[in-house]
Amino acid sequence: MNEPATLQERRRYYREEWNVKKLPDFIKEGMEQREFGFDHLGKGPNDRYRIFRSLEYLKRFMRYKSPFAAYCSVAFYDKPFKRADWIKSELIFDVDAKDIPIRTCMCDNVCEVCLGEAKEIVSGLIDTLKGDLGLKDIHVIYSGRGYHLRVLDETVMKMDSDIRAQILKYLVGSEVPRSEYGTEGEKYQLEHFSIPFGYPKVFTQRFKYAVLHLTPNIEMENISPALFKKVLKNRTYLLTDEWGLFRKNIGPINYKKLVKEIGALNMGLVDAKVSIDLKRILRLPTSLHSKVSMKCMEVQNIEKFDPFKEAVPKFVYERDD
Amino acid sequence: MVSVAFLNPLSDKAEQIVRDIGDLSKIYDKNSDLIHAVDTSKSQSMSDNQNIPENYVELAIKRMEWYIKKKNDKNYNYKDYAFLFNREITRFDVVAFFILAQAIGIKFNSNSRESKLFVDLQGNIIEERLEELSISERRDVCQKILDELILQDNVKWTFLEEILSSKKISLHELILDKGEIILDKEDFLERFSDKISHRNPERMYELLIGDPVKELIMIKMIMQKTEDYVKKVNEMSQKVEPHPYLLEVGEKISKILSENIKYYTTSHGGMKGFKLNSEAFPPCIKLTLNGVESGNRNDAIVLLLTSFLSYARLYPSIFRDNVSVKISDVDPELKITQNEILPLIYDAAQRCNPPLFDDDPQEKLNITAKLGFGVHELPEIKNEGESKWYTPMSCDKIKIHLPALCKPDKTCKKIGNPLSYYKSKSWQLNKQGDNKEKSSKDKDKNNVDKSKSDQDNVNKVINPSPDKSVKNTKEADTLNGSDFN
Repeated sequence: MNEPATLQERRRYYREEWNVKKLPDFIKEGMEQREFGFDHLGKGPNDRYRIFRSLEYLKRFMRYKSPFAAYCSVAFYDKPFKRADWIKSELIFDVDAKDIPIRTCMCDNVCEVCLGEAKEIVSGLIDTLKGDLGLKDIHVIYSGRGYHLRVLDETVMKMDSDIRAQILKYLVGSEVPRSEYGTEGEKYQLEHFSIPFGYPKVFTQRFKYAVLHLTPNIEMENISPALFKKVLKNRTYLLTDEWGLFRKNIGPINYKKLVKEIGALNMGLVDAKVSIDLKRILRLPTSLHSKVSMKCMEVQNIEKFDPFKEAVPKFVYERDD
Repeated sequence: MVSVAFLNPLSDKAEQIVRDIGDLSKIYDKNSDLIHAVDTSKSQSMSDNQNIPENYVELAIKRMEWYIKKKNDKNYNYKDYAFLFNREITRFDVVAFFILAQAIGIKFNSNSRESKLFVDLQGNIIEERLEELSISERRDVCQKILDELILQDNVKWTFLEEILSSKKISLHELILDKGEIILDKEDFLERFSDKISHRNPERMYELLIGDPVKELIMIKMIMQKTEDYVKKVNEMSQKVEPHPYLLEVGEKISKILSENIKYYTTSHGGMKGFKLNSEAFPPCIKLTLNGVESGNRNDAIVLLLTSFLSYARLYPSIFRDNVSVKISDVDPELKITQNEILPLIYDAAQRCNPPLFDDDPQEKLNITAKLGFGVHELPEIKNEGESKWYTPMSCDKIKIHLPALCKPDKTCKKIGNPLSYYKSKSWQLNKQGDNKEKSSKDKDKNNVDKSKSDQDNVNKVINPSPDKSVKNTKEADTLNGSDFN
């Protein structure tokens, strides 16, 4: 990844490359109801409660201050300058490549591999948001070190933290689906992988992703080294969706343990605190992530998006190596 | 045919019944039709006249009494209350429901334990009444109620927002597709038949959705509507003078509930209150007492520590007993709350970085609210019930809200709530203490250093007397949380 941006580089970026008109529409519309925050020194946002009544004011501010980082609230307020009279909030899912619980690259920070994995996870989340939950108005933002999913569907924007936590758990597959079902006094076993729709399907997809990406350095509390080896040895069955064989080979009791552990691990796919926080400020799309010298930007096509081609500011190419 | 009003007292049919016979001035009148319905109920025990409600108010009180006994009394006998499950009781039961709902709404806040108990009672009574019906009757009445509750053909999951928020249902328990909850068989088959292989799609529908999910949604929706109704009555009662009979019923409910809860919890040995043993605190609580960094402070102090310390000190058995208690049930004059619990919470708040009350002085009001005394500076008996006495958040919730504080140790693996950890660890420590004491007594009866043992106990137990609490507060500036250990 790139080196941090200097003050000179930040100035160049905001004066020559950044264009206030390129802010996504979902930010521009209702901008005056959002709180803005800035980090001028690279030590975290210390300049908060700012509001901008027009794009022109924001443009002047950014050009003049060239902040280390710029943020705006996910919330809309009647009094954004006081963070008071909350109206609604975007529903956010923050997938930071550095914090994904299972990364095959094992790098210290972020690299092409884990950013690719973050992208894969985000694609899965979008499918569930649209397919299962039927949500619209979903925006993908490349944050500089991962992705933000920003949902502006009016049906969810007034929802409280408790429902947001439930949506999060559904999306990442952290709740183990029940395997016992009953009707008219009789009980039947139905494992998640034999139900090809609804939440069991979501859980199956996340479980498969996790098991196929497990690396030897991953530690799972209740999984013994012997069981871990067995899982790695048999996981190729999942590539061909031979779930029965996979379960049989590692043993049904062990399978139960594994399912529980993977569910817990999945909770780390997304930063839960961001999703449940109704008053969070989030990096402003189009602004500069100065720590890594990359642009935070809206992604139009997640499949084709390559941050190393599209999110690198011009000054990086002109640096002396 | 069973009436929808038998299960849903908020249905159009039920409202019609109330309009026809619900005259408030007659609710204390002896009602021979009601007595007849009770007398002729299958399996009804007739050995004690007290079991037979003779008027609407008595029927309303019997409803409450049934639920309290069923929940708490080992000797609960279904036959004493069999009339509640007789469909012939419907028209009287609907009136009794409204008497209860209005009396509770007038006298108590919608967050009060009385309201909560009433809503739970309604859910439970529906469940038990469903059990009394044949499969076809069950299916028929459930469908009719759902048709009335859910007006559109396809119900969106967002329609259940309130039920999901109150955790009456979890999102992952529903079968969702394109934002819609799949309840109807034809709809299910149309959407998923192609995807199902090696199994009969109709059988899959019966197993995954069928009657249980429909019934679950129906029950939770009626519970939610009951809660909303009580809330509406509460708001209305601020503007309109309530009927004296309803005020009287409210008093009766309050008395019955207090007496019963005291009786059952005391007989279980649950409501004694114990001195705090900081050695038994789980890691998340120890970390919170040490002071928390900005970002986690509010949740850690207000949501986690306040409920944990109050229940650990006053009623650690809350999850076992599963009752709704108020602080004043255990601490009638609030002396323990004011002199022991609050100083510990305030101390921890001031140890945060930056100190919590310096930034957010209004969080003191939130702490009072979480103890069940509404939004006020300090807990006072007159305000009790304005809010709910919050139980400590579960470990699952801590992992989401306060991941930085979740540093599990061996004991954590076995439990799902910090309070359960505290109970389990306290028990272990007491047991170890007893064994240690016993063996040391056996070894050398004469060499017991009593003063040291007393000192150890002082270190282990946080129980500042009113005087000591002042001292503790002052010392807190120079101590860190490890001094509690």
